[in-house]
Amino acid sequence: MTKKLKKGTPRRVLVTGATTPIGERLCRALLEDDRIEHVLAIGPKKGADSMPFGQNDKLTYKQFDLSRNRHVRQMLFGIAKDLKIDVIMHLSMHRSMTAKGARVHALNVDSLRSIIELSGRHPTIKRLIFKSDVAVYQVQRDLPVLITESHPLNMGGGAPQWVRDRVEADVLACTHMGLSPLEITVLRTAEVLAPGTGSQLFDFLSSPVCFKPLGYDPMLNLLSLNDVVRALSMACFAKQSTTIVNIPGADTMPLSSCIERWGRISIPLPGLALTPVYKARQRLRGTEFSYGANRRRFHYAAVLDGSRAEDQFSYKPEHPIHWPSSLS
Amino acid sequence: MLLTPKIAHKLAETLLPAEVMEWAGELKIRDNGHGFDDFGLHPSFAAFGLGLCWKLHKDYFRVRSYGVENIPIDSGAVMAANHSGTIPTDAAMLWADVLLKTRRIPRPIADHFVPSLPWIGVLFARSGLVGGSRGNARALLSSNELVMIFPEGVGGIGKNASLAYQLQKWHLGHAELAIRHGVPVIPTAIIGAEEQMPQIGQINSLGKLIGLPYLPIPLTPLPLPVRYHIHYGEPIPVHQDYKPKDADNPKVVREAAGKVKSAVEALIEQGLATRGNIFE
Repeated sequence: MTKKLKKGTPRRVLVTGATTPIGERLCRALLEDDRIEHVLAIGPKKGADSMPFGQNDKLTYKQFDLSRNRHVRQMLFGIAKDLKIDVIMHLSMHRSMTAKGARVHALNVDSLRSIIELSGRHPTIKRLIFKSDVAVYQVQRDLPVLITESHPLNMGGGAPQWVRDRVEADVLACTHMGLSPLEITVLRTAEVLAPGTGSQLFDFLSSPVCFKPLGYDPMLNLLSLNDVVRALSMACFAKQSTTIVNIPGADTMPLSSCIERWGRISIPLPGLALTPVYKARQRLRGTEFSYGANRRRFHYAAVLDGSRAEDQFSYKPEHPIHWPSSLS
Repeated sequence: MLLTPKIAHKLAETLLPAEVMEWAGELKIRDNGHGFDDFGLHPSFAAFGLGLCWKLHKDYFRVRSYGVENIPIDSGAVMAANHSGTIPTDAAMLWADVLLKTRRIPRPIADHFVPSLPWIGVLFARSGLVGGSRGNARALLSSNELVMIFPEGVGGIGKNASLAYQLQKWHLGHAELAIRHGVPVIPTAIIGAEEQMPQIGQINSLGKLIGLPYLPIPLTPLPLPVRYHIHYGEPIPVHQDYKPKDADNPKVVREAAGKVKSAVEALIEQGLATRGNIFE
């Protein structure tokens, strides 16, 4: 039997990945929301001071390692049960493109599997909101520029684990829709251009000179921290809950404009030269951007279609990115 | 991209006469906040594209058009035209003609390989072209855009000189889209392009090497200065004749596409009968 959240009732929310920039902002927004009774913030760091905004009666912070099934069980049937949590917002995902291996997969995919299975028989949890990513979509020349929720996913075996894990987690959540008693919402968000979010583009723009493929200038859609937090909060109270929704951002522009607005110098190079250049950069400077993982979206336009988010959540992007060049 | 919107605007100013630039510099698009639409269209690039077509349209191909009143001014529609000429100057002239006559940027739908070509793909996208996928066409028609489709596709532009004015395999996508989105189809005939650059052969392997379906072997190195006559037919009201759900019925779609094909053939016949030689 499907568990249903009652309309208009206050929510008690568990946020995983609460110490990330998105998680922190989300917790802050939830604490300011009168409709939220309590926030249980989960992160990998020890101590209550892991959350920057100190003491709050509505907030409980706990440390759990979600890559361990036992910790997930303790979290859900321990503190979450005691606090009568009814909504889980799962944001926890390894942000590093270079991180590989079983532990990373356990955090990215197995933790979600455990959360879905255990929450299904949990006495209080009714809704799971999973933050997925635009990276799950396939980008290629014969696919539409405007990406709807039925767009093909990137199932290419050659994709790095960073992408494969995200696709697997997304598919995992989607396949449980209707089968699990939980209300499952998958939010496929556009790339959040902010530090600490795992944004490949943010890392790409961190160099004073940005090399881009010669002869190409694809359209990109970018999301601000404020808008991703708004979308997650809206999903918490949305009437339509078992759904997959794209969350686009307010900034749609070509790659060249993005580089320019970030105040960087753009140098076009032949595509063949870019892979070694960015591999060398990764090795020498320990950066995260991988040209191989972004090759297609640096050639072909890919913009999220937000019609469903508007229909179901009344979500429309409102907050553009704070571009360094517009701040100066 | 080195060609920024500012530079494109400046170039358009040098290529277009002042009276055209006056309105071409302020073309309306669905701006997403940074001057571009979702597909990459930018008004300054559209003006620049028009500037590039201007001399060809006015002095080289000396385009004459008929039935412009059949093109809707602000509602969505699908334009379906014959395609020919070895290189796609027919599409460029049709795009420029519609823009000049209606001050509305038509959105040509091109084969997938076109937007993926370096530089050309970017310039075309900035001027309004989109890749040929259902999703792209759906998004454009839902936004009441004027979509330009060549149902013959590569088969039309790549045909031999001996097949001039014979419509090649007529794909059905345009009819399906028009029915599904409740918009009329404007049948369009382009007379002149079929003789501009007679094709005597194709090299498939060389073309594939550079990302094209084939490399054409034309009889002339440049298009001949033939005169273009563009005939815009009366709108075919597929949106009134059929319901959107009929778009899932292959029989209905085939029937609607057949109506469009017949209308284009009739316009070609009429156009050929009323013109003199290919340069008049």
